[in-house]
Amino acid sequence: MATATYPPPPPYYRLYKKYLEDPKSAPEPPPPIEGTYNLFGATYTTDDVLPSLEEQGVRQLYPKGPNVDFKKELRSLNRELLLHILELADILVERPSQYARRVEDISLIFKNLHHLLNSLRPHQARATLIHILELQIHRRKQAVEDIKRRREEAQKLLKEALGTLEGQQ
Amino acid sequence: MDIISQLQEQVNTIAALAFNTIGTLQRDAPPVRLSPNYPEPPPTATNAAEDAANLAEQPQLMSAALVKAAKQFDSLVAALPLTEGGEEAQLKRIAELQAENDAIGQELQKQLEAAEKEHKQVQELFSQATDDCLNLKRPD
Repeated sequence: MATATYPPPPPYYRLYKKYLEDPKSAPEPPPPIEGTYNLFGATYTTDDVLPSLEEQGVRQLYPKGPNVDFKKELRSLNRELLLHILELADILVERPSQYARRVEDISLIFKNLHHLLNSLRPHQARATLIHILELQIHRRKQAVEDIKRRREEAQKLLKEALGTLEGQQ
Repeated sequence: MDIISQLQEQVNTIAALAFNTIGTLQRDAPPVRLSPNYPEPPPTATNAAEDAANLAEQPQLMSAALVKAAKQFDSLVAALPLTEGGEEAQLKRIAELQAENDAIGQELQKQLEAAEKEHKQVQELFSQATDDCLNLKRPD
């Protein structure tokens, strides 16, 4: 049975000998990568964007433009899908050998549907961010109110204590 | 599950129902009569009756399921919380919220520092007072 030893740890550990006394004597961590990088022979990109349908070689059925009305397009694609399924059933009855074109159309509609749904994700991410920021603002306001109230209570208690002490004297 | 994942699941469900429907109908359909010269094949006596019953109700059931799934998809689309305004409006709102968040954060920091200062003062005075008490000095 052939075994291989583990590779040795990278030799950079020697540079950090005096890290506890002088944190600046050791090298800085590498900066974040920008652009494309190679990992195990494959190229990856740091800019994650949803590739448009044309880049994948798929025809786009809904109108392009800056603002797509998602609800309307999703509903119309749904209706077209049902029509195509009925067409496929009819074709199978009358001319069964011509199913391929209909099946292609149905898969095209599905690809468009999924692409539309995927392009809704950035919108969802921004909406989540807005929600989180609003929650954080609310919590911070609560904390400020809390601190103010406690300080006033503490002032009141101190005044009372002072009054009691002077009364006792 | 969030609404977009539900929509994606619904699309996959519709796809599965569609190909199950078409596949089942194609598999179970009786052969077509090609010409009046060729006679009909002899019916198998064993389970002809229940086959015919199944063949009649299966398309109905399956198409009803398909239509129900499509209606479910429509209702999910109607439930999408899509506000008009698009990307720029969202980005503007995010910038506003960030500015407000920063301001509140600053105020919170100020209040916190003041409270900590007062806390330290009270602690010092209290320890002084207890020291004096222990040494039986009169309070001034």
